[in-house]
Amino acid sequence: MLKATIDADTFRELIDAISALVGECRLHVSESGIATRAVDTSNVAMISLELDAAAFQTYSATQTEIGLDIAKMKNILGMVGKNDPIDLELDAEGRKLSVSFKSYRYSISLLDTKTIRKDPNPPTLNLPAVVKVTGEVLNNAIKAASVVSDKIAFKIDPTKPAFTMIAEGDTDNIKLELGKDEIEFVQVAEARSLFSLDYLKDMGKVIGRSNLIEIQLGIDHPVQFLFTIAQDSGRVTYLLAPRIEAD
Amino acid sequence: MLFSEFALWCEKIEELASRLEMRDLIAELLPGLTAEDLPIFVRFIRGLIFPDWSSAHLGIGPNLLYDAVAYVAGRKRNDVISLVNRTGDAGTAVEFLLKEKTQTSLFAEELTLGDVYATFIRMADTAGSKSQKEKLRNARLLYSNASPLEGRYLTRLMLEELRIGVGEGSVRDAIAVAFSVSPDSVNRAHQVMNDLGEVAKIASIDPDALLNVKIEPFRPVKMMLAQAGSIEEMVAVSGEVCAEYKYDGSRFQFHSSGGRIAIYSRRLEDLTAALPDIADQLKEAVSGDVILDGEVVAIENGKPMPFQTVLRRIRRKHDVSAHVDQIRMVPFVFDILYRDGVGLIDLSLSERRIHLESVMSGYIAPQIKSENPDELREFYHAALQEGHEGIMLKVPGSPYIPGNRGKHWVKCKPEVETIDLAVIGGEWGEGRRAHHFGSFLLACQDDQGTLHPVSRVATGINDEMLGILYDLFKDRVISTTGKEVVFEPGIIFEVGYSEIQKSQNYASGYALRFPRFIRIRDDKRMDEIEMLAQIQERYLRSGHPQDSGMQQEKEQ
Repeated sequence: MLKATIDADTFRELIDAISALVGECRLHVSESGIATRAVDTSNVAMISLELDAAAFQTYSATQTEIGLDIAKMKNILGMVGKNDPIDLELDAEGRKLSVSFKSYRYSISLLDTKTIRKDPNPPTLNLPAVVKVTGEVLNNAIKAASVVSDKIAFKIDPTKPAFTMIAEGDTDNIKLELGKDEIEFVQVAEARSLFSLDYLKDMGKVIGRSNLIEIQLGIDHPVQFLFTIAQDSGRVTYLLAPRIEAD
Repeated sequence: MLFSEFALWCEKIEELASRLEMRDLIAELLPGLTAEDLPIFVRFIRGLIFPDWSSAHLGIGPNLLYDAVAYVAGRKRNDVISLVNRTGDAGTAVEFLLKEKTQTSLFAEELTLGDVYATFIRMADTAGSKSQKEKLRNARLLYSNASPLEGRYLTRLMLEELRIGVGEGSVRDAIAVAFSVSPDSVNRAHQVMNDLGEVAKIASIDPDALLNVKIEPFRPVKMMLAQAGSIEEMVAVSGEVCAEYKYDGSRFQFHSSGGRIAIYSRRLEDLTAALPDIADQLKEAVSGDVILDGEVVAIENGKPMPFQTVLRRIRRKHDVSAHVDQIRMVPFVFDILYRDGVGLIDLSLSERRIHLESVMSGYIAPQIKSENPDELREFYHAALQEGHEGIMLKVPGSPYIPGNRGKHWVKCKPEVETIDLAVIGGEWGEGRRAHHFGSFLLACQDDQGTLHPVSRVATGINDEMLGILYDLFKDRVISTTGKEVVFEPGIIFEVGYSEIQKSQNYASGYALRFPRFIRIRDDKRMDEIEMLAQIQERYLRSGHPQDSGMQQEKEQ
């Protein structure tokens, strides 16, 4: 069972965060809120997301699992005004979700959860370097890098300390170095990993709206971005596998 | 079995030179497979995904695969295409790209044979507007979990050309060796079940059960075929023969059981929705559960229309009802394979005819019985007079052997030299044919199903057909080098020619003289195209000496 009201902006944040990586997901609904964990089709990026009941204007639910077509939800959201409250209600059989706002009432067929990939187990990671930066700074760096290359290196030099982002293209390159004044070094350790901008661009659009991002890095290891949505009543983790280039 | 093991075996087989070694290697592997894996393995090793009787297919073209690989390998689609063009084989190109892949993944699940098959089923099942996206998603999923070698064979499987040289015969013999049964009983079970995968499974559980397999409704069997021959020869060998008109229509198999009906084409595609009028007519005329064999003929003003007219109707997927009235389609039924739970294929033609006449009223193809060549010749001329193709002569005591083209059935029709070949490549046209494929490279097959080029055809194609062919082939392009294009095989042309010559220009060793396009044979399956041995036979039949000069030249 699920019956809830959520404001359009919060709902949009939720759907955007998921749709950056996957077109459909398995949503776990419980008394305390909703959660999902999904991997993109090539096993390169993963999202874990939790949204507390507190993020909703009204919320009542019992434990269940639904298959959501995220691409479809995104289309519907195009119709919703900025501050419209959205009513969500799951039908008795759990096969349809009604989404109502203003005078619209959508009835959306849910996906059979059996056809959606099983929840991935997050890999055990040891990412020794941790920094915090604003979403805007990170997203701007990603956008700048995309102009010259399709990959970006994230580097932490523990001696300075400095967090460097380097994008090398065929002809041009971009380097952005951030020191203590611009970012917070939570855990200082040497780190250097290379990532595909294809994935980062999509994540960056979501990350850019967030005040503070925690970035966890290692050497040729995945990167993990942790941030909150819905005025801190939702938590998102993006995990992205690195590119390893043979020299 | 892990798919990685399957890929290793494929690689090993690809390196084997002799059919016997292939057979023995496959025979060694079969008994070690689980009951679930065995049928999948038996199909995959031949480059098939679904049972022969099934009309399921993946419905993806090379471009979709290139997109999937590009995504997984972190490349641009054009990188993939240019590499395929350079290597000439999509499988090898994918293998290379996966080897060079710099993007790591968070997880890798080891693919099993069953996983791959289940994914293929999902791909075949998706239909509708989002199906291409869904198929792409599944293809990415496969590639993201695949090693480079797995990628090579996954790609070739999805393009339904494994290129390891394992033909139906090798697999059939391997099953016989593996489970100590006679090749004949494997062959017979295959004719009835039309799926070597299932036959292998039965052989592994209970070899005796192979003898008891039964023809079943909604599992179409291959159609029995006829050789070319003459009235005189047939009467001299068989005495009394049954003669029927040879209709210039489209062969069909009608299945009906428990109120459900289905109509299958010669290629065993389900045509029920495209032929609602035939379905209705037969449903009305038949009593009980049956499997019938017959030919659909298009009639306009009382005259049979050419075969093309029938095909146009069959190919039409939309607005079927609007076109039902324009051309009248009439079924002519000439055989019965199954009646009320009992298979009839082992009965003689005469006995089957009695069954046929007792389950049906109307639509039965007229038949005469005679041992008098004059009477048969008269029947032949009457057939031509009425606008039919010729006549069929059948041995009254012969069983129905699915897929067999033997001496039991003989077709007599005015001599035309035509040949059915697979289209494996083409060339971009020039001038008036710019932006179209101007010529097509044709191939025959050997007994392992390997394709060998025989000729190019460029004449006999009018502008309308040029457009149709472009639409048909544009999504089958595997690679392009200059003006040369390689197509994913699957489309068959019937071509006319004046003579067969020996030639060093084509890998088959033969070439057609004055080839001209006649029509697309979309009622035929790839395994029905001309065999290399048949071309050789045609060559010898036309009075060429059986010299081996060319062979020697080649070896030097």
